[in-house]
Amino acid sequence: MIHQPPSNAGGPSRRREPAETQPSSPQARRLQWLAEALLIVGLVGLQPALLLSWVAIGLTVLAGLKLLEAKRLEERRLVGLLQLVSAGVLGAFQADLGPSLLQGLAVFLALAGLLALEAGQGPDWRLLLRRSLQVVAAALPVALALFLLMPRLAPFTPISDLGRGVARIGLNEGLAPGSIASLAANQEPAARVSFEGGEPPAAADRYWRVLVHDRFDGTTWHTSPTQRRNGDGSGAAPAGTPSPQAQQLWVAEASGLEAVPWDGAARPLGRELRINGRGELLHGGRSSQRRLYGLDTSPATGTGWRRIGPRPLDLFLPPGTNPQLEALGRSWREAGPAEARLAVAERWFRAGPFRYTRTPGTLPSRAPLDAFLFERQEGFCGHYASAFAALMRAAGLPARVVSGYQGGTWVQPLSGPGYLDLRQDNAHAWTEVWIDSRGWQRVDPTTWIAASRGGGVRATPTGGPLGWLERQWWALDLAWGRWWLGFDREGQEALLQRLLGERRNLVGAVVLAAVGASLGGSVTVLGWLRNRPEGDAPRRELERALAALARDGLVPEAGETLADFSARLGRSEPALAALLEAMAEPYQQWRYGPGPRPAEEARRLGARLHRQRGALERELRRQPPRRPTT
Amino acid sequence: MNFGKTQQGETLSLGMRNLYILPTRFGLLWLAGIALLQVVAIQLESNGPLLLSFLMLGLFLLTLHLTHFNLQGLEVRCGQPAAGFAGDTLAYPLRLRCRGRCEGLRLRLGPGEPDQARSLAAGDHLLTLPWNPAERGRMRPGKLRLLTTAPLGLFVCWSRWDPPMPQLVIPAPRSGPVGRAQAPELKQQGARSGSRGSSGGDLWHDLQPHRPEDGAGRLVWKLLAQGRGAHAKRFLAPMAEAPLLTPAEGIPLERALEHLCAAILRLHGEGARYGLQLGSTSIPPGHGHDHRDRCLETLALAPRTL
Repeated sequence: MIHQPPSNAGGPSRRREPAETQPSSPQARRLQWLAEALLIVGLVGLQPALLLSWVAIGLTVLAGLKLLEAKRLEERRLVGLLQLVSAGVLGAFQADLGPSLLQGLAVFLALAGLLALEAGQGPDWRLLLRRSLQVVAAALPVALALFLLMPRLAPFTPISDLGRGVARIGLNEGLAPGSIASLAANQEPAARVSFEGGEPPAAADRYWRVLVHDRFDGTTWHTSPTQRRNGDGSGAAPAGTPSPQAQQLWVAEASGLEAVPWDGAARPLGRELRINGRGELLHGGRSSQRRLYGLDTSPATGTGWRRIGPRPLDLFLPPGTNPQLEALGRSWREAGPAEARLAVAERWFRAGPFRYTRTPGTLPSRAPLDAFLFERQEGFCGHYASAFAALMRAAGLPARVVSGYQGGTWVQPLSGPGYLDLRQDNAHAWTEVWIDSRGWQRVDPTTWIAASRGGGVRATPTGGPLGWLERQWWALDLAWGRWWLGFDREGQEALLQRLLGERRNLVGAVVLAAVGASLGGSVTVLGWLRNRPEGDAPRRELERALAALARDGLVPEAGETLADFSARLGRSEPALAALLEAMAEPYQQWRYGPGPRPAEEARRLGARLHRQRGALERELRRQPPRRPTT
Repeated sequence: MNFGKTQQGETLSLGMRNLYILPTRFGLLWLAGIALLQVVAIQLESNGPLLLSFLMLGLFLLTLHLTHFNLQGLEVRCGQPAAGFAGDTLAYPLRLRCRGRCEGLRLRLGPGEPDQARSLAAGDHLLTLPWNPAERGRMRPGKLRLLTTAPLGLFVCWSRWDPPMPQLVIPAPRSGPVGRAQAPELKQQGARSGSRGSSGGDLWHDLQPHRPEDGAGRLVWKLLAQGRGAHAKRFLAPMAEAPLLTPAEGIPLERALEHLCAAILRLHGEGARYGLQLGSTSIPPGHGHDHRDRCLETLALAPRTL
C-alpha cells in the first residue's frame, strides 16, 4: 500500500514528463470494433424492404465510419452511443433469441468500450471486464424495475406495416394448383405452437387454418377482400379476465400475410387479434416479422364464424370454364340433401384412379380442373381441394378452399414443455362446405386418395443431429418468445393488476420507490466493492487493522514503511504499537520470506491476524478517544 | 469544467463539500439517445429498445454516483519539489492517497487541457505534474484542477486547489559575459606576486575576432584549422584560481543572472572553484553540489534590483 517515492537526489531537474503521455487505452478500440462486428452480423437478418431497417443499417454504418476516423475522446464516445442506439433499433426488428443474444453482447461490448475509454491506461483486460460487468449489473435492477412497472404508452400513430407484401415462401392469397409443376420440399419453419394446460389435438385433427379462398375465376382461388364484420365478436379478452386454464401459444414466422395459423376454435387472447367472417385469424402486428400470440382453448368459444351463412360468392362458379366438372357436379344435385351429395362425391373420388404426387406437372390454362379430374388424375392437396370445392359449387353447395398447415412434428425438448413444429412442408389445402344444419364443415378430399400425402404428418422428427440441435434451440426460442415478446402492454397491465389491484393510482409512487430502492442498492454495493480491501486474507486483515488505527487519526505518513510506522507509534502508544508489531512481523515474514506461499498457510495466518486485529480494536476501544488528525 | 471555489490548505481532502459534478455534453447526447430509443420502442411496441433505453437511463443515474465516488475520499498533498530552471517545463510532485480505486483521474496545473486519464488503485501514489514557471524565484504553480469523467463519460466531477508548496525556479542558463571580482585573499596574493600570465589559462569565457595585437597565444587554433576564421579567446581578467562571479556590467540584471547561472553550471562541470558576489550577498569560493545549489538558489532569490 505504501509506495516509496523515487529519490530526488542529484541536481535540479531539467525536465520531467508526466507519467502517462500515450494515447488512450488500446482495449477501447478493440472492444468498439468487436461491438461493431456483432452489429454488422445482426444487420444480415434485416428485411431490406422495410424502410426502418435502413435506419438501423445507417446507424451501424455511421458508427463504423466514425470509428475509422475518430481520434479524439469525444468522437470515440460518440461511436459508443451510436452503437448502443443502433443495437436498440435492431432489437425492434429482430427479437428472436439468437439476434437478441447478439444485440445484448454488442451492447455490453459497446459499454465496455466506453469504460475503457474513460479509464485510460490503467486497467488490464480482466479488471476492465470485471468493472464493466459490475457497472452493467448494477444498472440492470433499475432498468428492470422501469421495464416491468413503468406504464407503457400506446403507439403515437397506428402501426403502419411498411413491409407488407414482402415476398415470402409459404402460403399465398391466390391458389392455382394448375400452375405448379412440382412441390419443392421446403423445410423452412412456418410456426411453432405449444399447449399449456391442455393436450395437443389428436394427429388427425391437426388442421391449422390460415387463408380462406372463396373467389374462384375458373383457374385460381382467391381470397376476397376482407369482410368487415367480425366472426363472433370475440376479439381481445377484456382487461381483468382471469388467465385461461388452457392455452395455445403460437410463434408464427414472418409470412407477409395478415392472417396467422390457428385451430379455428379457440378464443384469441390479445387486442391485436381478430377473427373475420370466414374464420381467418388476423393479427394486427407487422407481418414482416415473427408474431407471437395466445389462444384460449379451455372453452371452444372462437367458433362463431362457422355459423355465418354463405354469400352468393361462395356458390359462384364461372360458367363454361370447366364444363365437364360442371356437368358432373350438376348430376350430383339429384342425390338429395347436402350430406348425401357429399357422400356421392366421396364415393366418386375413392372409386377413381386418383393418385397423390408432389410432381404433377402443370395443367392447361383452359379448363385446368377438367384436365385434372378426367385426364391426369394425379396431383397434390391443392388440386384435390380446389377441384372438390368447384364440384361442390356445381352441385349447389356453398364451398371454399382453405389453406394452412396440417400435422406438424411433435418435439419434446430436453427441458421445458413440448411443442408442435410446423414447416412450410406442412402446408396443406382443404375444403369447407356449408351444410345448413351444421354450418361450415371441413372436408379434406386428399385423405380419400389411396397413397396420401408423403410429407404429411411425420411420425418422427427428421434431420439428424443438426435437426435435433435446431429443434432444441427452437424450444429455447419459444420459451424466450413467450417470456420476452409476450410481455407487451397487456402483459404489463396484468402484472400491475396483480400487484396493485384496486390501487392503480399508486403506480407512480411504486415506480419511483422501486427505482430508488434498486439504485440505492446498486450504489451501496458498488461503494462497498470500491472500498473493500483487496488481496489475500492476511493482507486484508492488516489493511483493516490500519483502517481501525486511521479512524483514531493514527495514519502512516506518506512513504513510511510499516516498521517505521510501528516505531513512530511506539513512542506515543506503546500498547498499540506492540499489537501492530505482532501483526506486521509474521505478515512480513510470510509475505517476503523465501519459498512458496501455499493457500493453506495464508488461511492460517489470516485467521491468526484476524484474532490479533480483534485484540488491537479492543485496545483502541479501551483507550480514551483520540482527536482524529489529518 | 473550470469554475467553482478554489480550495486552500496544506491538504486537499475531497468530499461532498468541495466536489462539483455536472453532466457532460456527451451526457446530454446520451439522454437524447434514450429519448430516441423510447420513441422507437413505443411506436414499434418493441421490448428490445425499451429495455435498452431503461438500461441507459439506469446507467445515467448510476454513473452520477460512480463518477463522484472516483474523487470522493481522495487526499492530495504536495511533495518536495526539486528546483528547476525558468523556461523549462518543471515537474511538480503531488502525493495522492486514494481510499478506494480512483478511475479516470485527470490532472492539470494552471490553464490548459488536463492530461491523459489514469486509474489509481487504493493506496498512496506519487505523481508529478508538468508546469511552466513564468519567472525565477520561489514560485507556486497555480491552481490544480482534478477531474474525472469515468466510468462512462456522462458526468464530469471536478475540484480545484491551490497547492501551497512553492518550487524554486532558477534563472535559465544562458551563455554570456559575467563580471569577475577577485576573491579578497587572491587580491592580496596577486598584489604580492604580480598578475599571472593569462595567455596560457584555460578559463576563457568568450570569443572575439582575432586582432594582430592579440598575439598567437590567444588564437583559437582549433577553429582556424576547421576553416572557421581566426578567433581570439577572451579571458576573465584578471585570471584568478577562484573567481568571484558578479553580474556583468551594463547588462540588465535578469539577463546578467542568466549568464551567471550558465557560468556556475560550467564551472561546476569543470570541477573548478568559484564564488558568487551578488549585491550585498557574497558566497566565498567553493565547489561541490551543495555549493552549486547554494549559488543557484541565491541567483533564484536575488532581489529585483541590486
